Amino acid sequence: MASATIDLSALLRDLPEGAWVAISEQAHKVVAYSADLQTAINLSKERGESDPLIVRVPERAGMLFL
Amino acid sequence: MPSVEFPYISINIPPSDPFPSGQVTQRPLAAAAIWVPGAGRGMRCVVCLDSGADSCVFPALFATALGIDLLTLKRNVTGGVGSSGNVTYYTDLEISLGSGIQFKSNVGFTAALDAQGMGLLGQTGFFEFYNVTFLQKQRKFVIETT
Repeated sequence: MASATIDLSALLRDLPEGAWVAISEQAHKVVAYSADLQTAINLSKERGESDPLIVRVPERAGMLFL
Repeated sequence: MPSVEFPYISINIPPSDPFPSGQVTQRPLAAAAIWVPGAGRGMRCVVCLDSGADSCVFPALFATALGIDLLTLKRNVTGGVGSSGNVTYYTDLEISLGSGIQFKSNVGFTAALDAQGMGLLGQTGFFEFYNVTFLQKQRKFVIETT
């Protein structure tokens, strides 16, 4: 199948609500997180992950009706 | 017909009054690379294949990361469940889901999606290009590539 099957729930479980998270898809781990999107991206680059997958921890985890 | 399979992503929903044991919901999510055509800046993000969305939309905060000045773009007002009057700014983006699935779409950016932190691939700009079969029982969705 395409797309890495990342267990987002597990990766985001202990992170602050509303945090922007930079994930290494190859390593299946969180590289950086911050309340600010650009800060999370910059921290990820500083830590050697130049092209992270960006996700956000829901502020209120619940059902979504988009 | 050539096609690419993607796994549904399981999301744990905490307990709530109607669902005291919590829930596990399955979402048709994929990792995507997005960038402005002809520009160097891009990013990777999560997108939801949302057949109920009229078009493709992304969080407004992504625009800054992509070097896009929203105030220079054309805009309209959109709405969703629980929200209306969302100012939405439009520009072309190149979007890749990998495995040869790449397309250019006129997408919107709206602050109404900032809290979710992911993009929506909707009817115009995605489903008009690709046939998609949702097979939730098998925990996968399939995108035809030609």
